[in-house]
Order: sequence, then structure tokens, then C-alpha cells
Amino acid sequence: MFVGDYMTRHPVMVAPNTSIVELQGIMAENNIRHVPVVEKGKRLVGLVTRQNLRISPTELSSLNVWEITRFLSSLKVKDVMIRGKDVITAVPDMPIEEAASILVMYHIGCLPVVEEGIVVGIITESDLLTQLTNLLGLQVPGWRATVRVPDRPGEFAKITAAIASKGWGIDAAGSLPTPRKPGYWDVVIKISAATRDELAAVLRQIEGQELIDIRETGPCP
Amino acid sequence: MMRLCSDPLPPILKVENLSVSYATRYGEVEAVRQISFEVRRGMTLGLVGESGCGKTTVAFGILNFLGPNGRIVEGSIKFQGRELVGRSEKELRTLRGDQIAMVYQDPMQALNPSLTIGEQLSEVLIVHRGISRADAWRKSIDMLNRVYMPDAVNVMKRYPHQLSGGQQQRVVIAMALLNNPALLIMDEPTTALDVTVEAAVLDLIEDLKRDFDTGIIYITHNLGVVARVCDQVVVMYAGEVVESAPIGNLFAHPLHPYTQGLMRCVPKLGSTKEESQLYPIRGRVPAPQNRPWGACVFAPRCDYATERCRNERPAFREIAPGHSARCFYAGEIDPSAWQPSEEADLPSPSPKPDAIPVQENILEIENLKTYYEQPSRSVFSLFGLGKKHYVKAVDGVSLHVPKGITVGIVGESGCGKSTLAKTIIGLEPLTSGTLHFLGFDLSMPVTRRDVKLIQELQMVFQNPDSTMNPAYTIGEQIARPLQRFKTVPPHQVYDEVIRLLRAVRLDPSYYDRFPSQLSGGEKQRVGIARAFASRPEMVLCDEPVSSLDVSVQAAVLNLLLDIQRQYGTTMLFIAHDLSVVRFFSDIVAVMYLGHIVELGPAEAIYMPPYHPYTEALLSAVPIPDPGATQKRIRLEGNVPSALNPPSGCVFHTRCPRRNLLPDHGLVCEVERPPWRYNTEQHRILCHIPLEDLRKMEPVITSH
Repeated sequence: MFVGDYMTRHPVMVAPNTSIVELQGIMAENNIRHVPVVEKGKRLVGLVTRQNLRISPTELSSLNVWEITRFLSSLKVKDVMIRGKDVITAVPDMPIEEAASILVMYHIGCLPVVEEGIVVGIITESDLLTQLTNLLGLQVPGWRATVRVPDRPGEFAKITAAIASKGWGIDAAGSLPTPRKPGYWDVVIKISAATRDELAAVLRQIEGQELIDIRETGPCP
Repeated sequence: MMRLCSDPLPPILKVENLSVSYATRYGEVEAVRQISFEVRRGMTLGLVGESGCGKTTVAFGILNFLGPNGRIVEGSIKFQGRELVGRSEKELRTLRGDQIAMVYQDPMQALNPSLTIGEQLSEVLIVHRGISRADAWRKSIDMLNRVYMPDAVNVMKRYPHQLSGGQQQRVVIAMALLNNPALLIMDEPTTALDVTVEAAVLDLIEDLKRDFDTGIIYITHNLGVVARVCDQVVVMYAGEVVESAPIGNLFAHPLHPYTQGLMRCVPKLGSTKEESQLYPIRGRVPAPQNRPWGACVFAPRCDYATERCRNERPAFREIAPGHSARCFYAGEIDPSAWQPSEEADLPSPSPKPDAIPVQENILEIENLKTYYEQPSRSVFSLFGLGKKHYVKAVDGVSLHVPKGITVGIVGESGCGKSTLAKTIIGLEPLTSGTLHFLGFDLSMPVTRRDVKLIQELQMVFQNPDSTMNPAYTIGEQIARPLQRFKTVPPHQVYDEVIRLLRAVRLDPSYYDRFPSQLSGGEKQRVGIARAFASRPEMVLCDEPVSSLDVSVQAAVLNLLLDIQRQYGTTMLFIAHDLSVVRFFSDIVAVMYLGHIVELGPAEAIYMPPYHPYTEALLSAVPIPDPGATQKRIRLEGNVPSALNPPSGCVFHTRCPRRNLLPDHGLVCEVERPPWRYNTEQHRILCHIPLEDLRKMEPVITSH
């Protein structure tokens, strides 16, 4: 689970001399919010996002409608972009959770992925959220069970042993500390091989654990 | 990568309503008319059609390589949402270097012969990325390893001519991928390669598409290749898109009559001339200036054409989800109910003989060896003392050809197929062994042979262009053997030429034409007419159809079949396409490095027991059926040099089945393998016992 595996390769990129009007068109056409700015050889020199395209009304207030047009058409990507060293980047072999924490820490929406100064991809909030859905197995139709387990070694093994004894496979699994209840963890598993009742019966048998929830999930229609 | 359903990525390339025209002496000629398609990331789009359909023009249009007389008339090409039409040359150049790469048909033309592979590869990185020479060198080696180049470190120091065709093509692909392009355009990248090499390159393309998430446009005329690598197919005819569909749909339910026709032109692997027919599409692709306007372009060749097709241009419309065609009757035509029209020239059907009839042998080859002497560089050889080196092109071949039978010879290039034919015809002197044809000794070169003998033994060559004198008319060229062999009295020569032209389905008006006025298929017909002019007993065909388009290929094969049935001619048919050989031949000989390794009736060769080499060849053939599964056996490396063939079994260096024998096939390295007789007529040259060979599963299973 590294950035290199989940990033979007061959992101849409623009040159510093591209006009803002054209950039606007490219972003709309591709339905994207972040565009790395590169010079020859895909070398990263900046980044533009939707925010950079917001021109404050005060800047325009002194201009009449004709001057606004001229002002906008002369504006280039290099005039509005976040420049070179200010762009926060990721590398392909960074774990995805690390990339996520960078996004959270700096309140930003994307990281250009760079290898020796050359853009090889881009990873955005949506990419990471997509992987969260995959992590919990949303793409496989089946039963999503939440089990609350005490915080001690061997509890997760009990679940996997119980499932394995039935010959079912675990499609996805994840766990988090139970909110507002120290000493417990919530484990989510996704099973598609069993029926709801079979699965519930097996999970309820496990001693010291509590089946919190069981429901059907699957990809959105 | 799995994606949320609501978030589809926009296409990498979107071509809309693109028209390209060339300024020629006929005026402005539209080569490509209003075509549209999309390429998504990680997807391979196949562009298919006969030559002259505008496939390459589309590819060049995307890159704006149209040359001084070509221009984009209308339409848009959007690369990642950016319009490419009307961009300056400078902007396009950056884009081409960084984001779009192209691989051409002939790798030798894409490589600079005077620079080493390493210099050429690292130059790409140094120029485009400005990285240091040492880094570029290291990265180039990584990329060569990535395209499965054996011994990458040393390949970097070699020059292009020191690599085989398959290796050169890998270098070109590696070069294209060095800049990690978003779009890769491949124009017939495997057409010039052997089947085994082609299979390996196609596997490579599959892997790369997955790993690099690159969108690929794959241009080819070979439906088998399309079935293997493409996800989406666009069929082009005469500059227009006639059908577009996902790969499975296209083969299961072809909608356009042209697509259906193309599929009837290729022999299915495993079908024979007795039980199936090839149906060529009549006519040929019209030249751009002669295309019908305001009508369906395919109407003149279509069996379903009505008055409406000739007066109105059909729209490109969606018939099933994702499956569109440009035909008024798409979806209504049932290809299984298709009947050949009366105008189609088909060979007269012949009943299948129960077994190969026992006929006297017309050609008997015993232990034939053809060696080429290799000049030695040692000092001793200056005084005539050095050891002589020989290229053992044909090394101990024995073959008996009964009268009236077609013998197919298959093998990779460099296995000695053509040398065998040239030795029989007398163009190469034989080194040892005996050759008897109709009781005559064939060991002397063609110049010293009796005219009678030459008359009875003729040849059809691979490349009709280079075998015809451009300064003589077609009629004169066909008349020449008639006069020389006195087949007919002098005053009947003209009539005989006309009769021969008719026999190869050419109009008498061709008598006064020059070779340059003929298409490739027509030239090959003339070549056939000339070979049959002397009414020979035996004709050697050296790859007679491999340079032709599928529909022309079907027509030429039918023609050969028909003439053979009419005159009872014996044929030696050399080809590298196993489905064509299977279709055409009664007996098949598989050659490897100067040896016949398997010999038997055609149907026996294509079912177990196989020689391990035959098995590998069969698993490499691209099959025009995405539903069929093929065992995946890939041979390592290249055919070894015939200068120094491996000891024991010549195939042991590449044999994937050696582990069936004790000690990992030690015996193969030491001892010559014995002939193992499966039936009296089917034998295999291998150390592995027949029982084990029989246990292998068939290579191809279709669903």
C-alpha cells in the first residue's frame, strides 16, 4: 500500500506559459481540481489548484469590463501557481497513510508524486478515500460485520480462526480503537461467501467479543 | 485499480470528426473522413483494416507528422482535454517527447545504426530530462530489463545490427517507455517479427499496459493479434470508421459486412481446405480519390448492398451498448446465413480423401545438407591451413513428397526453410546428400539443368515486386517461359497468356500493363501465372501470401488451390503462419535449425503428441478468437547460430520440455534424438518417449 500503487499516473499537466483561460478549460474538460505545472521533461515547477484561480474582486475593482478581459487573457499559469519549493510532494514508495497525514497536516487536497524532480503521478484526497472504501471492501457485495473486541493480543486471531473453520474467505478487514470506550477495538470484516445468519451465528459464538452490527454493503449502483 | 462508480476518468485521447487530406496531383484527396474514437488510460485500442484504409494516417495525424502535403481539414484531437489541432510545432514537440510515444513497424529504421543501444537510450533521458549521463545509463539498463531483454548490461554496448529483430523491437519499445508516456501509438509493431518473438512482444505489451497505466493505440491488420492485445477495436475501411466495439462483442457479433468479410478471410487454426473455405472480399479498397461520395464506401464490395447504400451515406450509429457500426442494415444482417455470391471466385470443392493416397514419390530428398562456407579470420586460413567454418543452413533433411500433394514447411526465420527450397530449385549448391525429382538427379545448379527439368520445377517467390522486371509488360513476362519452354507453338503464345491471365482472375487488359500499375495481390497473381505457364509438375511456394492483406491472401490461396486441383500439381508450401499452412497443406514438416523435427499429416501435427518445438510454435500463433484459450509456452532467446549448432538435440538450448527427462534432459545435450513414430506417416525427432508426449494437453481449447 504505497503511493506509487494508488496514485493517478500520467496526470494532466500544464506548462508555466499556458494561459489561465486555457487552464480553466482543461480543468473543466477533465473535471479536475489540481494541475501540476511542469517544464520540459515533466520537471515539476509548480502547482495550480482551483483556489489559485480565485481572483479577488479588489484586484479587479479598479478595472472596467474591457480591461478585465485583457487582464484575464494576459494572465499565465506561472503568475498564479504555487511555486517550486512551496509545493508539497510525495514519492512513490511513501505509505499511503503517510500521504494522507500530509494532506491533513497542511490542509491541502493533493500531492504531486515526484521521482528525482520528475512528475510521475498525483495522489488526491479522492484517491485515498477510494482506497478507504476498498480497504473495507465496499466494491465486493457481501456482509459487513462489526465486532467489538477487548484490546489484548489474540482477539483478531479468534475471528479469523472462526471464519477459516467454515472455509469462508475474508474479503476485507480493518480495525479502529472504539470511540469513547477505551480498552476496546472495533473490527470490521467483509464476507461474501456466507449468508447473514450463518455469519452472525459464527461471530456470536466467539467468547469475549460482541457483534455490534451486520449489514449488506456493495458498490454504489 | 478499483474506482468509485461515480468517478470515471476522462479519456487520454479523444478524436472527434477528424478528417485528413493530402494534396496530390489529383487535387486535394481526403485520406481519412470524419473519424471519432477515444482512448482511456490502461486500455488498448486496436485500429484494424486492410492497407490503404487510413490507419497510419490517423496515427500520424495525432502527432501531426503528416508531411508537407498532408493537413487536418476538420475535427478535433483532444489530448487530456487539450486541443492538439492548430498547435505550434514547438508545443507539439514537447508533448511528443514527454507524453506521447510511437513505435513503428520496422525497428531497424527507428534505430540509428551508427550509435550503440546505450547511447541511443540514454540520449532520450539526457535530452528530455536533463539528467546526468551515468544516471541515464543506469535507468536505461533498468528499462531494458523491464522489457525482458536478456543480458541488458551488455546489450547497451552493442550496435543495432548486432541484435535480432525481436530484440531491436524491444529496444524501440523501451525507448518509447523511457519517458513514461501517457499515450503510446504502435504501428504494426510485430508484423515484421517471427511468431514466437511476436508472442513474447505481445505479452510484453500486455504487462506494460498494466504496469504503466498507458493508453495504447495498436494499429494492425492481423485479427489474431487484435484478439490477443486489444480491449476495444475500431475497424477502418477506406478512410472511415465502419465499426467500433469491445473486443468480445466484435468477434462474437460483427455487425458491419466488412468486419464479417474480414473474419471469413482468415483460416481458423485447425481448419482444413477440405472442410472449410476462405471467402475473399471481392474487389479491393478503392484509392482515396476514387471513393464513392454520398454513398456507403463499402457498397461496391458488399453482398448486402441495396440501392439505398449507393445513394446515401449511412450514419455511424450505436446498435448495442458500446457497439456501433456505419451500415443501414447493421443488426439485421445474420452473418451465419451468409452465402457467397455467384461472382465470388471460389475453388471448386473437392471431396476429402480418406487418407493420403499412396502415390509414387515425385521428389525424394535423402540426408540433404546445404552448408555455406564462412570466411575464417585466423592467420592460418591465409595459408589455407585454418579450420573451415560452415553455416549449416540445412543439415540432414530427408523428405519424400508424393505426387499431387501439398507439403507445408514451417519454422522460425533462420531455420533453413528458404535454403531448402533454393537448394531444390538449384539456386544454392548442395553440400551432400541426394535429391531426386521424377527420377532426375537435382544436384547440379539451375544453370546446368536440362530445360525439361526446369520446366517441370517452378517457383513462386515471396516478394512479387523484386521478381518482376519493371521494364516489361505483364504479357511479355508471362510469355517468356512459354517461349523458352516451347509449351505452345509460337503463334499460340498470345492466346495462352490470355488464358493464364484469366486463370488467375485477371482481365486480358492486364497484358499491356507494367508491374508498377498493379497492386501487391495482382503482382502475386502474375507471379503464379508465370510459375504455372510451363505446366510444371511441381511448384515451390516461398511465403507466397505473407506480404499480402488478409482479403487478398484469401483470394491468392483460393487461386493456388484451384490451379492445383485442376492440374494436379505437387506443391511445397513454405510459410510462417501456422493457420495458413494447416489450411493449405496435406503434410506438414516443422523445421528447426536445419533439421526437420516433426513430420506428418497436417491434422496430426496440430494435435498431441507434439514435438516440444511444434507445441511452442502453436502456443505462439495469435488466434482470431478471444474466447479460445492457449497454453502459454514461450521460448527463451533466439534461434542459435547455425554456424555452431548445439550438440545433441539442436533444440535442447530452448526446449521447455526437457525436464520431462531424467537429469533435466542431460541426454538431449549429448545424444542425437531418435525418430519416434506415432503412426507410419507421423514422426517426431525427440528423446521424450511418445507416451509422455501424448499426455500433453492440446495447446488450443476453444469454448
